[in-house]
Amino acid sequence: MADPTATVCPRCAHQTVELVFTSPVPGVWDVLQCGRCLYMWRTSEPERRTRRHAYPEAFRMTAEDIRSASEVPAVPPLRTS
Amino acid sequence: MAYDDLRSFLEALDKEGQLLRITEEVNPEPDIAAAANAAPRLGDAAPALYFDNVKGFTDARIAMNVHGSWANHALALGLPKETGTKEQVEEFVRRWAEFPVAPERRADPPWAQNTQEGDDVDIFQVLPLIRLNDGDGGLYIDKAAVVSKDPEDPEHSGKQNVGIYRIQVKGRRKLALQPVPMHDIAQHLRKAEEEGEDLPVAITIGNDPVISIVASTPMKYDENEYELAGALRGAPAPIAEAPLTGLPVPWGSEVVIEGVIEGRKREIEGPFGEFTGHYSGGRSMTVIRIDRISYRTNPVFEHLYLGMPWTEVDYLIAASTCVPLYEQLKKDFPEVQAVNAMYTHGLVAIVSTKKRYGGFAKAVGLRVLTTAHGLGYATTVIVVDEDVDPFNLPQVMWALSTKMNPSGDLITIPNLPVLELAPQAQSPGIVDKLVIDATTPVEPDRRGNYSTQVHDLPEAAEWLTRLQRLSARR
Ligand SMILES: [Zn+2]
Repeated sequence: MADPTATVCPRCAHQTVELVFTSPVPGVWDVLQCGRCLYMWRTSEPERRTRRHAYPEAFRMTAEDIRSASEVPAVPPLRTS
Repeated sequence: MAYDDLRSFLEALDKEGQLLRITEEVNPEPDIAAAANAAPRLGDAAPALYFDNVKGFTDARIAMNVHGSWANHALALGLPKETGTKEQVEEFVRRWAEFPVAPERRADPPWAQNTQEGDDVDIFQVLPLIRLNDGDGGLYIDKAAVVSKDPEDPEHSGKQNVGIYRIQVKGRRKLALQPVPMHDIAQHLRKAEEEGEDLPVAITIGNDPVISIVASTPMKYDENEYELAGALRGAPAPIAEAPLTGLPVPWGSEVVIEGVIEGRKREIEGPFGEFTGHYSGGRSMTVIRIDRISYRTNPVFEHLYLGMPWTEVDYLIAASTCVPLYEQLKKDFPEVQAVNAMYTHGLVAIVSTKKRYGGFAKAVGLRVLTTAHGLGYATTVIVVDEDVDPFNLPQVMWALSTKMNPSGDLITIPNLPVLELAPQAQSPGIVDKLVIDATTPVEPDRRGNYSTQVHDLPEAAEWLTRLQRLSARR
């Protein structure tokens, strides 16, 4: 239904968005995912979750946020012996 | 009454008037999460919610708030739904004494009816996944019991783990899982990753109500959750072998997802509105590759809303947090009467105790901080006298109002460990902890002037019964 190529990620404004799943009742909604921040949403959700202009500042994410994200848990050193 | 699967428990809830079927069409978001957010606000007898008319889906069955009230928690343990909070915790303690009760291997698990494998795996075809809070990074699975084994000691059944962890759905066959360092699965993963290996996991969704309780009980590393389930149910927990990983999983699960946490791999995850009532995330977390999904025909997706307390998660981990803390304290200090650690998984704990001598209550409070669970959680500990009921907050406030003198009754210890999700930490994972002694000082501690406490009149208990009888007759 939604054309993923015409959508930007509401959270990080990335231009590449993938179609993950489409409603079993045709044409009702799609589940989309951002190729960069991996945000995943359903197109039928309220604007505050699906539209860049309405997406709350507090939940936005940048490429730098992703690069600097801490590891949980940290990858331990390989055992050598 | 022991339930072997989620469906029989939902039927029981229905019979008791504790299951509300929402038959009108609802939107997957925000309706289902908003309803589950609202349900516990109905009070201590709030019902579970069941949705089967969800817009865009042809075949969705979603159960929310299954444990989300004291009435439902009581029914999960086979108790009358009117059973009080303190009584439920006391009964939990009594049944814990039966631990361990070995599980029973049972053939023909219903989840063996349908299978997806390898590249054919598509979790969206199996589960009507929905989003919860506005800032969540995606669709989450947050009430699954995740099974793993110690890679160095795979035959040791005590070192198996069954736990509930937050899981983000990242793709048709890709998930993220958060192993909190204090939890057993983090130890399993570390051992696997040190060897450069993947960690096999089985993620079981839609379980009998006791499995969800034991999976969220902070047990010791070498204690087996199924053996606690047997003690709580009063009958061995039925389990079966997951077909791909061989991991022991609940016989009655609706859905069993098998795969591996891919060793030494991390990827952006979250945020997710957590049990602390705050979002956490935007961190680089583990990645799970799904290799097989087994599922019961017409699976019921059991899901949990969490947010501003109290929500279902607070009921799910209320008694199950109090009891292990009580057990561990009681072993060293038989004077301990009761533990209420129901607040945010025990970030605040209230302990009532008799006093051996002056200063004893402070020692009990400090011991809470070094219990297995207290290490990562207990941040404020309030110690009250043996005649104060820690589950009766007005009584606890009375103790704070009259028994506590800040000049000598507040002990702060700097820079102790706390789980990384605790929002008040100075840096994630490190916090100052506080013990508040709100007990009456005893010899040789001569502070204060406590010679004249008023106690309930000896005849009051009898009058209470009499008044209850009289008012019931009106
Ligand atoms: Zn994005």
